[in-house]
Amino acid sequence: MTLFLQQVINGLAQGSIYALIGIGFALIFGVLGLVHFAHGEVYMIGAFLGFMLVSVFQLDIFSSLLLAMLGSALIGVVVEAIAFRPLRKAPDVAPMVCTLGLSVVLQNGAALLWGTDTKSIPDAIPNHIIPFLGAQISFQQVFIFTVTIILMLALQYVLHRSKIGRAIRATAQNKDAAALMGVNIDTVIAWTFAVGSALGGAAGVLVGVYYNAFYPMMGFMAGLKAFTATVLGGLTSVPGAVLGGLILGVAENLGAAYISSGYRDIFAFAILILVLLIKPSGLFGRGIQEKV
Amino acid sequence: MNRKIIVLVAMAMMAVFVSGCGSQNTASTSKEITIGLTAPLSGDNAEYGQSFKNAIDLAFEKANANGGVNGKKITLVANDSKADPKEAANIAQKFVSDSKVIGVIGDFTSTAALAGSPIYQKGGLVQLSPTSSHPDFTKQGTYMFRNIATQEQEGPLLADYGINNLHKKRIAVVYINNDWGIVAKDNFIKGVQKLGGEIVATEAYLPEQGKDFSAIITKIQQSNPDLLFIGSMYTDTALIAQQARKANFSVELIGTGSLYSEELIKLGGSAVEGLHLTCSFYPLDPRPEVQDFVKSYQVKYGKAPTMFAAQAYDAANLIIEALKAGATDRLSLRDKLSAVKNFPGVTGKTSFDENRNVDKALTKLIVKDGKFVPYNP
Repeated sequence: MTLFLQQVINGLAQGSIYALIGIGFALIFGVLGLVHFAHGEVYMIGAFLGFMLVSVFQLDIFSSLLLAMLGSALIGVVVEAIAFRPLRKAPDVAPMVCTLGLSVVLQNGAALLWGTDTKSIPDAIPNHIIPFLGAQISFQQVFIFTVTIILMLALQYVLHRSKIGRAIRATAQNKDAAALMGVNIDTVIAWTFAVGSALGGAAGVLVGVYYNAFYPMMGFMAGLKAFTATVLGGLTSVPGAVLGGLILGVAENLGAAYISSGYRDIFAFAILILVLLIKPSGLFGRGIQEKV
Repeated sequence: MNRKIIVLVAMAMMAVFVSGCGSQNTASTSKEITIGLTAPLSGDNAEYGQSFKNAIDLAFEKANANGGVNGKKITLVANDSKADPKEAANIAQKFVSDSKVIGVIGDFTSTAALAGSPIYQKGGLVQLSPTSSHPDFTKQGTYMFRNIATQEQEGPLLADYGINNLHKKRIAVVYINNDWGIVAKDNFIKGVQKLGGEIVATEAYLPEQGKDFSAIITKIQQSNPDLLFIGSMYTDTALIAQQARKANFSVELIGTGSLYSEELIKLGGSAVEGLHLTCSFYPLDPRPEVQDFVKSYQVKYGKAPTMFAAQAYDAANLIIEALKAGATDRLSLRDKLSAVKNFPGVTGKTSFDENRNVDKALTKLIVKDGKFVPYNP
């Protein structure tokens, strides 16, 4: 029982990270209908920004987190301007391939800039262990949960209460209609990238602090898993991406514990296949409506 | 019509590309000796491949500064294998078909080295791996050399360290699931069982899986071991150690020579304090060749050499030794290299046996106060 509970806790911490990255995929897919393959790299850059702010500029973790989110948001906007905006009229495959290339450029750029070796920072958050029904929760895990929940509430607020949030949702529902109603689509898309990338950057900082490892390749697998979480949740649904991320994190850890740790990735992707077979639109998918 | 033009343009571009690759080779004159390097210069294992390149550059620069070997300068052609067996095979093909290249150093991982071996063997090109410790590597043909103790030597010694020196009984194992990790694990477990120890848990992880080890650690913790063997590289080991300590798991740790790096201590901090390992390279060794290497590496790159850098440095110097003995082409390089005896390398006296393996003396080390020191029971 303790093992089960412990793995669920570990899984939720990991799943929160997937959820934060996944939200970015969902938001961007929502407005553009495209997969942003360099999103994992935005997360990696967010992590490195956090690393720089904590280790070089000696800032505390909260200011570092906020500044890294700001930096990632800027990078997201730049990525959009480079890889998506010039290709707005091109066939869908062009911007997607462009982001694939961009992801390689960002990975190797980071390797040039920060070196290829894994970086670490001395504990940015104290690591107390809190006993919990026989299992243990570390303070860092609590920190990850708290930050994730706060960011999600903030996102819900922005999406449902602010003007730009309404514009993002309108664009996601119907780009042309939104444009006719006076919504500036380019601005909305840039904002969507900013919001999604800020959350990705936050995930990067959290992961860097949690595992104490920053390296240029960290975005690849995380991006893939988070994308899986998004598909699981229905591609465009923010709550879906969150739930998908948490399910994925827990499933991986339970699978590793009870079946075999060597095959942990299989559990994540097996769940994906199962969900897609039973409910192809994902858990919270809008359902696919082909235009006639 | 249009399609024909596109095909023509594509072919022209390919021709330019191919000849572009070719011109790189023709640039070297007969006054030069070209040695290839295949190592992960980017990707997950880039830090290890970079240390290879750094060390080999240093060795060749030293030789060239003294007028080269027999009046010829040595140039290094480095190719990035990303530790990917597919890339490693492509690079092998490239080196074999480039007549200027008379010997190749690499690869870093046993998996990548093994992928290249059949091609090097067919092309009659020396493949000297500084770090491939998989027992099967040199069995791939007559051109495969290694400059490292195999896991068949290291595994039992580590088992002896754990059971006879540290008096541990319940031993858990976590290893990286690749060719090297599997033999490291197998040989260690075999050694433990021979000495009467008990293996209470064995867990694998995939290299691509990211850096979350909490599931594995929680699982191992349940089996309550008194010693944890980590068959992995230093980065992952530092993270496993840290995540174990974060989970309140204070088991003693033991690992292979692959952990010998300042980075282990930098990344792992207090979590790797007391970690046990065996190693072929010890930078405080007073022998002049070791001190000279450590000093010049430190000056050139601003950091201390790792065990991987030391292995690669010796590999480069073994090639130089064979060249000095009169090797001029692929075949003679192999013959002269096989004949090297008692070469004073920074990782110990090196001689190749008839299977082109080396017998390295391994030292038992422990991390104490943030430093690697010899283990004194």
